[in-house]
Amino acid sequence: MNFEFGRVALVVLFALLPVVGIAFGFFVPALRARGPLLVAFFAGIIPILSLYIPKRFLSGETGMRPRLDQWLIIVAGFALLLGIVNVIQNGTRKVARREKGWPYSVVLLTGLFITGGLGIWGAVSGQGITSLPDGTGTPFKWIADNFFLPLQATIFALLAFFMASAAFRAFRARNTEATILLVAGILVMSGRVPLLEFLAAPFPPLQPAAAGASQALGKLTEWIMQTPNGAAQSGIIIGAALGAASMAIRLILGIEKGYLGLGGGE
Amino acid sequence: MAGFVDKLLNIDRRWLFLLVFIGVALPIIMPIGLPVTTTASTRDAFEFIEGLKPGDAVLISFDYGPSSAPENDPMAEGIMRQCFLRKIHVVICALYPLGGLQLANNSLAKVSAEFPDLKYGEDYVNLGFKDGAQAVMKRMGDDIVGAFPTDVRGTPLAQIPMMKSVRSLRQVGVVVTVATGIIGEYWITQAHPQSGVPVIVGPTAVGAPKYYAYLNAGQAVGMLSGMKGAAEYEKLLAAKYPQLERFYKSTHAFTATKGMDAQTVIHFIIILFIIIGNVATLSQRAARRKAEAR
Repeated sequence: MNFEFGRVALVVLFALLPVVGIAFGFFVPALRARGPLLVAFFAGIIPILSLYIPKRFLSGETGMRPRLDQWLIIVAGFALLLGIVNVIQNGTRKVARREKGWPYSVVLLTGLFITGGLGIWGAVSGQGITSLPDGTGTPFKWIADNFFLPLQATIFALLAFFMASAAFRAFRARNTEATILLVAGILVMSGRVPLLEFLAAPFPPLQPAAAGASQALGKLTEWIMQTPNGAAQSGIIIGAALGAASMAIRLILGIEKGYLGLGGGE
Repeated sequence: MAGFVDKLLNIDRRWLFLLVFIGVALPIIMPIGLPVTTTASTRDAFEFIEGLKPGDAVLISFDYGPSSAPENDPMAEGIMRQCFLRKIHVVICALYPLGGLQLANNSLAKVSAEFPDLKYGEDYVNLGFKDGAQAVMKRMGDDIVGAFPTDVRGTPLAQIPMMKSVRSLRQVGVVVTVATGIIGEYWITQAHPQSGVPVIVGPTAVGAPKYYAYLNAGQAVGMLSGMKGAAEYEKLLAAKYPQLERFYKSTHAFTATKGMDAQTVIHFIIILFIIIGNVATLSQRAARRKAEAR
């Protein structure tokens, strides 16, 4: 018999252990958090160990880590499903209670069911959601191309109008920090585009000087982005990564239990 | 004077909107043809792909949605054209849930139509969309089939000739992530350290600042920053490949180079608004102080 330790260990840790944990939870309420904490511990520790222990059952092609990676993709898919269920619950409640803005929820749910329905139908019928073999689009693609893409683009395009209005009304040199931000912002905005060439366009004798000044401004912009901005971004990223690592350790070791939703005690 | 300043600061914002609309629309209708200068990060990206051999594979990940398509589409399409001209194999995937797949399909259909000699499955492959960005990248690092068992048409990857030599990210020459959000960062922080695959990132201008940290650290080999980065890439392509120079000059389609005209005008308008707003506020403050002194 082809005995794979990794596979058996996964079944024990992620199938038997949760079942035993649930059973224990029924009979001994004080222990009901133990099962999920152990599952979280093993789910977190196995990928870490696989990086340091080169054993086939851990990191081999059919080892525990690649299988957990595969499961991660499936779990991520379920997270999407969870989102859809949440939207349906909230939307239907809003419509049923005729809360403020309920017609928007009707539009949202109609769009969700029609688009989702056509997508599922495309998957079930084998047509897919893109193009048919004859080159024509599926109904799902038609909706995506003619509703979703233009609507998303339109919403984002509105940003230009609000940004311009906000720049006029709110971007003020109120103190030293705001003034530094303002000057840096104007420099970067000017240096990212051929602004000086644009301004010199009606005056041909000024164009060579404008081109030279524009190049210098471009270099200054790159320096701002690369040096002060790059340094600040590195600090933020390293800080966030350390925070994420410490949170991961807290979760793996069972110190952080908020995700269990058990309130104050077990 | 004070009356004028008050009036200016309380101007109906619809006038501002109208000015912005004219500033964007006019350069698109009547292109100005402003010059584009290239930056080191874009040149690095261009040269990296130039350094690949025919038959190498480039993975282009569509990690953006329609909201940033005018910035990101020209990046993806420019790199696809460069790869197709150099006979570099192109693997397409989409990890952004809000329309990434539709944009990937549309861009691939558009660019592949310009190269009728190339064959699907031998020169390029579209893997389609998969949810769970980090998890997918992690799996692709070991085994692409594990993350994408079939291509977008439902054909098993094992039956696609090109994918026989591209089994994991380790066999990919470079990943190009054209990204609007955090997914581009995941390619650098998850895929690059674990599989060693080099990463070129094509973020929106708004998302670009954080990627300078990765560029400085050598964790990304190049970057096309926003529409300017895309326009720079188009300039580099046009300089290197005469057929693309003709294409970028003659096409009636939207290109980043044309978009830069509108961007320049709108930056000018916004800078003007900021200066006017600040001058007006300062003069208002000065008038108030004067009145208080009296």
